[in-house]
Amino acid sequence: MLVVRPGTPGDLDALMALAANAVPQLTNLPAHRDRLAERLAGSVAALERTIDTPGEEIYVFVLEATDDQGRAAIVGTASIRARAGAKEAYYTWRRETLIHASQQLDVRRPVSILSLSHELSEASLLCAFSLDARYRATTGERLLRRARLLFVAQHPERFMPTIAVAMPGHLDDAGTSPFWESVGRHFFVRDFADINEMAGIYSKSFIAEVMPPFPLYEPLLTETGRQAIGSTHSAHFAAAADLRDEGFADSRHVDLFDGGLLLEAPFKQLHSVHGNRWHPVRILDEVARDLRDTALLANQNTTAFRCIAAPHALSSTGQLMLSPADAATLDLDTGRAVLAVTLPRLGHETAPC
Amino acid sequence: MLIRPIEERDLDALHAIAIETGEGFTSLPDNREFLAEHIAATRAAFEKTEDHPSLKDAPDLYFFVLEDDSVDTDASAADRIAGCCAIEARVGLDVPFYNYRVGRLAQASKQLDLNRVIDTLFLSSDHTGDAEVCSLYLRPDWRVSGQRNGTLLSRVRWLFMAIYRARFPDRVLAEMRGRFDDADVNPFWQSLGQHFFPIDFGDADRLTGLGQKSFIGELMPRYPICTAMLPQAARDCLGQVHEQTQPALAMLNAQGLRYEGYIDIFDAGPTVEAYLNDVKAVRDSIEVVAVVDAQAVDPGSPVTLAATMGTCASFRSAWVGRLPAHGELAVHPDEAARLGIVDGARLRVLCD
Repeated sequence: MLVVRPGTPGDLDALMALAANAVPQLTNLPAHRDRLAERLAGSVAALERTIDTPGEEIYVFVLEATDDQGRAAIVGTASIRARAGAKEAYYTWRRETLIHASQQLDVRRPVSILSLSHELSEASLLCAFSLDARYRATTGERLLRRARLLFVAQHPERFMPTIAVAMPGHLDDAGTSPFWESVGRHFFVRDFADINEMAGIYSKSFIAEVMPPFPLYEPLLTETGRQAIGSTHSAHFAAAADLRDEGFADSRHVDLFDGGLLLEAPFKQLHSVHGNRWHPVRILDEVARDLRDTALLANQNTTAFRCIAAPHALSSTGQLMLSPADAATLDLDTGRAVLAVTLPRLGHETAPC
Repeated sequence: MLIRPIEERDLDALHAIAIETGEGFTSLPDNREFLAEHIAATRAAFEKTEDHPSLKDAPDLYFFVLEDDSVDTDASAADRIAGCCAIEARVGLDVPFYNYRVGRLAQASKQLDLNRVIDTLFLSSDHTGDAEVCSLYLRPDWRVSGQRNGTLLSRVRWLFMAIYRARFPDRVLAEMRGRFDDADVNPFWQSLGQHFFPIDFGDADRLTGLGQKSFIGELMPRYPICTAMLPQAARDCLGQVHEQTQPALAMLNAQGLRYEGYIDIFDAGPTVEAYLNDVKAVRDSIEVVAVVDAQAVDPGSPVTLAATMGTCASFRSAWVGRLPAHGELAVHPDEAARLGIVDGARLRVLCD
């Protein structure tokens, strides 16, 4: 049984392990005990508070697996930053096209430039996604990724109208970011990993201190640096496809450090937001798993938010039929409301273990 | 040898020089029609009187030739022309005059323990309205050590500007050819220009020479360029001159023109510049009265550069073989004839 729930301070060890094992290492999920402890405490506090304007909150969720003997383990984590630039600006490169045309030479050539942008400071950010390798390409992966959106759907006041996700960018076989080598290194004079770590753990104000205050011309990057603009790390191709399926689109922004693609969507256009339905719950001993489409189901608690993947078993009167175990996991009784959204079928995906 | 304003009859000579100088000399393209217009334009400038209303704000071109008066007058006119030089009174008024200013962008971060400056190229038209000395060329046959023909071509422009000071603005510049590698490739162009101009360096340079510069503004990168993003070979070109240009640079430096951080947008060669009144030859040149004297033969070596002070169109300049004394300069009748002066004429002279 897999369930997504808010992270608590007791999840720190598991979170540390997931941070250390993330592929590639994530800026926004540093394996730094104090930072992660703060984050978990902050997340719990934010859930307990009434919030009507999104700010510095980071909501941390974990994917908990319970085996047949009832032993629970944390196998994944994912977060939402309520407002990417609430505390400091959130920096990205925005790709723009300038047309350089000369009548005299009879040429017209588009020239791409990268402009430092704070535009996505005003977006909510899905971030810090790390999953135990055993659960990759299972329904559990999509459950963890999308459960956050069912939370967002229920608490629009806690989030911005635009949701963005930064995909880790391309790294070469040596684990080096060609984009960093072609851009960042010239200004930061450090290795990508160092900066990534500093940005994750400490303040990012150094970005403003060293970056040039004007756009960069893409033709002046190295060939490999250019190719990494808007790229996705190969370990995240499936994630990007899943997010596009959810309603995210490629944005004009790329990551400041590795040139990775940023996906973006108006909150209301996400499948999990506009495609979800509330249903009354009916508990049924036997819910046939294999005949139904899978749905993500969430309760309407805040601090005790729970989300699972289960059969999309609707009665003719619109009740959603839950097995007793699933109902217990969601802490729902017959007659209570459950939020459901269908999970599109994927051929290559295996059932949750 | 004498310097005088170019005339219509010099077209053949100018064309010959244009062919001889080839691509490296962009202000003189191998294009007879263009050169004829060039001459017409410069004649109009020379013939303006000193009270002409546009004298103080026109982009006038003053183009001079070096004529060898020892060559038989029966020879074709082209065979008497040994070189040329020019002054543009005000650049950038017809079409923008661009260069890059190599600015310094400070980077300081306590967190990164970083404190340094990055050279950054800012597209600039800062020299709009300044005078430019340009188009200096001495034909190989006249590159004779001791004759000082190159010095004559270079310095005459300072005398001219000193005499007709009102025709010129406060500041003057010269653009020097940039550094090329052994394969005649300019690494700066390779790293920057070629990404923006879909033509090769020679074509870009040629169009610029023809005055057809509008493509530059249209295709140029408008945002500053951090040189940190350019390869080392390109960075090594910033403000560096072609080795053949070293002597010209040395001559301009000696006059007080300095590199102030402006470079050519194509080859990164330096712009050297000065306030006209601060130029050594302008400051140090003096007015004297010519005393024509048949006995004035010694020492005869080119020590005093003399220029006439009559009408602009009748300007002449040449070496005189002795130094002035007490406000007078003894001039041999041959020298007087060369300068087109009579006894008692005023001259502006520059001595070593």
